[in-house]
Amino acid sequence: MIIAAYVFFGLGIIFNIMGNIGVLVFPDVYTRLQASSTCSTTSVFSFFIGCMLYAGWGPITGRLVVITLFFFVTNPISAHIIGRFAWQSGIVPWRKSYLNRNDPSEDEDD
Amino acid sequence: MKLKTRWAFIRFCITFLFLFAGWLLFTWSLDPGSLLAGFAAAFIIALLTFRIFVEEEEAGRRAHLLRPHMLLVFLVVLIFNMYIASFQVLFFILRGKINPAVVHFRTRLKADIARVALTSAITLTPGTITIDLEDDHLLVHWLDARTTHSRYAGNLIKGTYEKLLKRVWI
Repeated sequence: MIIAAYVFFGLGIIFNIMGNIGVLVFPDVYTRLQASSTCSTTSVFSFFIGCMLYAGWGPITGRLVVITLFFFVTNPISAHIIGRFAWQSGIVPWRKSYLNRNDPSEDEDD
Repeated sequence: MKLKTRWAFIRFCITFLFLFAGWLLFTWSLDPGSLLAGFAAAFIIALLTFRIFVEEEEAGRRAHLLRPHMLLVFLVVLIFNMYIASFQVLFFILRGKINPAVVHFRTRLKADIARVALTSAITLTPGTITIDLEDDHLLVHWLDARTTHSRYAGNLIKGTYEKLLKRVWI
């Protein structure tokens, strides 16, 4: 039981670190939101599962279930609101083809 | 008038049940005193706030009665997909090769709460974020866009979730 808890803690640490690296690597708002919000969702969820396995069957587990459900309801809504505000204020999403479009040789086609 | 009072009573019962279940999970005890305190608090709060939690216009009573076993299946599928997609996003970050796009598709779900659950599931799955939801039009930012065709992208993103949610909230 405790070994499984440690496995989930390790998964949470890996996802959290990779999400933070993704925030630095990715090019624009939406992709950074993907890295930060969704990777950290999985990492925090892994931490909760690990805590549940670590605590065993008892009063702490009930509270953790409530917190996890609350997290499941609120976290996607916060990510959605950030994305929606960025979309409504007119930020254009980064596309792969923009890299080619910035070449000076292809400028005259546009 | 009779119909309205009955609908108000049902709304009150739904709110009360959810509040009392939350109380039971938080205290995790079956003492008579604790149960009585939870009952009284849930009763008063439900009496004050059932107008906000369940709106009067949403009179499709079956929209609120979910099926718990199907909800459990949905949650298991969602968590499984979360981990798979998480590893995919991890490899995207490591390789630095991404192909993001904004795709648009429609959903066939009727109940409001089912639509909110669908958007939350799409956002919880790493790699996709719901940007906008208007009536039944969804706007999704996709990190690894294999296509921008509306129906095909919809099948890839929401396929299993929609099938399961149709059974949860009818």
